[in-house]
Formats: sequence, C-alpha cells, structure tokens
Amino acid sequence: MFNLLRKTLYERRFFILGWSLGLAFLGFAMTSFFPSFSGGEIDGLLESLPPALQGLVGNLQDWKQLPGYIGSQVFDIRLPIFASILSILLAVGITVAEEDKGQLRTLVALPISRRKIIMAKWLSIVIICFIASLAVVIGVEIGVITIGEDLDQTVLVRLGLFTWLLITALATLIFAIGIASGKRGLTTGLGIIIAIGSFLLTTFAQSVSWLKDYEWLSFLHYFPAPEIAKGTVEWGNVIFYLTLIAVSLLVAFIFFPRRDIKAV
Amino acid sequence: MINPPVIEVKNVSKVYSGVAAVDDVSFAIQAGEVVGFVGLNGAGKSTTINMLLGFLHPTQGEVYMFGEKVTLPNAATSHQKMGFATGDMALFDGMNGKQYLEFIARSYKTSTNSDTYKKLVAKFEPQLDKKINTLSRGNKQKIALIAAFMSDPEVVVLDEPSSGLDPLMQQHFLDLVREESEKGTTIFMSSHYLNEVIDICSRILLIKNGKLVKDIPTSELEIGAGKLVRVVTKAKVSPPKAAEHIEHEKRIDSYVLQFLYKDKALRLQEWLGSLPHLQDVTISDHTAEAAFEDLYDVEGATNV
Repeated sequence: MFNLLRKTLYERRFFILGWSLGLAFLGFAMTSFFPSFSGGEIDGLLESLPPALQGLVGNLQDWKQLPGYIGSQVFDIRLPIFASILSILLAVGITVAEEDKGQLRTLVALPISRRKIIMAKWLSIVIICFIASLAVVIGVEIGVITIGEDLDQTVLVRLGLFTWLLITALATLIFAIGIASGKRGLTTGLGIIIAIGSFLLTTFAQSVSWLKDYEWLSFLHYFPAPEIAKGTVEWGNVIFYLTLIAVSLLVAFIFFPRRDIKAV
Repeated sequence: MINPPVIEVKNVSKVYSGVAAVDDVSFAIQAGEVVGFVGLNGAGKSTTINMLLGFLHPTQGEVYMFGEKVTLPNAATSHQKMGFATGDMALFDGMNGKQYLEFIARSYKTSTNSDTYKKLVAKFEPQLDKKINTLSRGNKQKIALIAAFMSDPEVVVLDEPSSGLDPLMQQHFLDLVREESEKGTTIFMSSHYLNEVIDICSRILLIKNGKLVKDIPTSELEIGAGKLVRVVTKAKVSPPKAAEHIEHEKRIDSYVLQFLYKDKALRLQEWLGSLPHLQDVTISDHTAEAAFEDLYDVEGATNV
C-alpha cells in the first residue's frame, strides 16, 4: 500500500508544489494587508456599505485584531474558494481522471486489493491536504513576521488543523463519489455543487434573510474560522467533518470493490 | 490426480443494456498451455479478458483462476501469480520507464535486480530513462511487456500484446513467449496477428458476436493446404466436387465464385477449361488469414 501511496504522491509532486506556493502566497499577501485594514484606512468605505453588503466582507470588528483578521479574511472568506477548487481537482484527478485514462485498470491488474487502493489514494489526499494547509499557515506566519506583528502561535495551529480537516473532508467526499461511481461528470458536478454551493450559501446567508434557515446545509457552516481564531473550537464541528470522512470512506469501501472498472 | 485448470470460464455472459457482449462462453486452460483468443473487433475478446482479470463482473456464469472463483473484491489475490499486458496499456505517465518498472516490481514483491528483469530489458531494450508520456506506442508496449513477465508469473494474460511493436521486437516477443512456454508458463493471448497466434499457440479459441464458436488445437487448422481459387464468370457456375468453403457473389454483369481447393491440379485445370464465359481466374496460397476467414465464416454461420 505504501508503494502505491508513494507513487500517487510522486505523480502529484508538481500539483503539490504549485498549490502549496499559491496558498502560501495567499496567506502571506492577505496578512501583509493587515496594517491597512487595522489602521482604519478603509473603515470609512466599509461603514458606508449597506448592512446587507457588509456581511459579504466579514465582521468589521474582526478586522481590528490580527487573529480575527486572519480568521476572517484568510481562512473564512478566501481560503474556502481555493480549498474547494483544490479538493475537486485532487479528488477528481485521483479517481475518475485516472480511470478515464485507463490507469486505474492498470493498477487493478496488479496484486493490490481494491481496498488497499482506496486506502493508499485516500492517505495521499490526507497528506496533500496537510501540506496545503501547512502552506497557508507558513504563508501567514511569514506575513506576520514581515509586518512586525505578534501572533499567538496556537491561533495558527488551530486554524491550520481545522483547515486540514475541512479540505480533507471535502476532498474525501468528492473522492468517495468518484471512486464509488467511476463517473466523471457526476463527480465533478456534485463536487462543484457541494463546494461552490456551500461557499455561496454561507456567504450570502449573512445578507439574504431567507437563506439563513438553510445555511446549516453548507459545508462551511461547520468551519467558523473567525471563532476558531479567537479560540472557540466547537467539537460538534470536528465531529461533523470526521463523521463525513468516515461515511464517505465507508461508501468508497462498499461500492468500489464491487463495481466494474471502465474499459478504455 | 488431475490438476484443476489454471483458467476456467464457466457459462460466462456479460450484458450491457440488454446486449450480450459475451454470451455463455465456457473454456478451460491447463497449466503450461499457450492459447490464442481470436475474433474480430467487438467479438468479446477484451470483455472476456476483463472478466478474467476481475475488472468486470460477469452478468452470469463464473470465472476461476488457479481453482479459486474470481470476484471483483478478491481478484488481486490471483494477480500475484499473473502478468497482464494490453496493446494500449495505460502506463503511469508521470514516471519514467525505470520508475514504472520499479513500482511494478515492488507491487509483486520482487526486484529490478532479478535475472528475469535483466534478461527482459536486454531483449526489448526499452528507453527506461525517458518519461513515459514522451515515449512512442511501441516503446510503451515494450515496458508493458517487461512488466507482464518480470515477476515470473505462472499465468500471463495478453490482450493484443504485440500491436505497436516493430517486426524485430515482435520477433523478440514471440521468442519470449516460446521461452516462457518451455518454462511451463501458461499464456492466454488475444491477437489480430493470426500468423503470430498460429506460430506460438498450441490451441485457438475463436469468438464471434460474444459466442465461443471454435476451440481447436492449432495443428488442426488447415493452413497452407490447398489453394484459394477465385473465378469470375458471366453465368453462374457450380464449383468442382472437391471445393470447400464455397462463396458465391452476384455482381451486376458477372458472378464471382471463391473456394478452397485441395484436390489434384489437373482436375482443377479441367474444370476451369469447362467453364463457359470465363472472365478472370485468381489462384493463391491458402494463408493463415484465409484459414481463419474460412473458419470464422463457417463456424459463425452454424453457431450464431
């Protein structure tokens, strides 16, 4: 299994490198903007926004303190978009894209059980998501050093770990759809609906009153980054993502070993 | 005590949307046999092979490898003793040839330091340092064949294995199959190259429209025996008594008669001389391709 895990990671080395650099830059760039936000340079502009639109840019009070700013501007508003794209590309690439190319058939022809294939591929997702989350954290850390601020390291540890959990859960869900169904359109479509739908639902629920009742359906409802940055970790949210991972894996383990592999 | 067959297919069918790609196929292959699996495109060869390997589950029937029933979840168990290659094998193109073969070796718990591996590399001379996605089809095929044989498997299943190889490499491949056969390796291969099948296989399975229509020793194929005769006449004529595999074709202003003739040449000459309004005659050797065409048409007509 570790042979396959190593192979999967090796084949995605440029994907990992590219995304890590990109996410680290996101963390660094957004953190380096903090002095402008905290110094009141754009307070006037933001206060002139209608209340409904203020919801789209996050809680203004969060911007005054570095932990709240990072939680809101990096992890709550921007990271989920990129995390969603990362999850979809990674999970689709590792499942249905390989099957469409015939590489999954080559793999299944080897003396590697289908269960081990699931485990190795999923572990590669876990590792890649960890590296991506770590890259954001490192980017933010470099940004904090650059602007000469102090930040309690536990804030970044909490946010980093929760981000890891979020991306892993989303990628695992899409992975399970892909490996269980073998259908590229279904996997990509559902992945986009879940990821982008969640982002839109959570973002606009702050401004569109009737959406508030459905916001719990969003994948991001369970990732309140500003609260996590301030030190509040709701274990119910952790359990939600862990349960989702477990159920997704269960689906993968039930369906993949019993379904036909697509012929090319 | 009789050993169970290493490959056994029992009444296997595979149906897609109501259409049978493989229809009630049964055969058994004993250890050490080299068996060719022949049929036109879409006849059901690859689907049958995909069920042997556990890529597809049969709609009905059962497949056994080494006496154990193959199911999709347990197929990997039999793969430890099997090699597999296809003519269009999707290799892992993010790797180079060496990395790919090292990955395969580790999967089989063997090593690229083995004598078998070294011999295969010496035989096929693959480009191991180049990334797989930059290799030509033939060079990818060499790597796929090395991967199939490098673990000293008991059974090798090959689906159009030599397509893409140049004639020299094709010859190396045939030599390899002969050497493996002498070692007792069981080989089950589909191929479009009929001379290749006749050359190396001891037995031939013929599949048409999903049905197995013939299972014969290669020695029973009537290759090279007789001549293929084709005459064009103005009026319809009857073939000579000794004619076999007769085919008539009516054209706008002529009739074409084709048959296999194994009797004395003098009698054929007399028959040709007796034909009224003879327009054209072609007499050619009865090639392997022609033998298969005959077999395919005749058996297909009676069994499908």
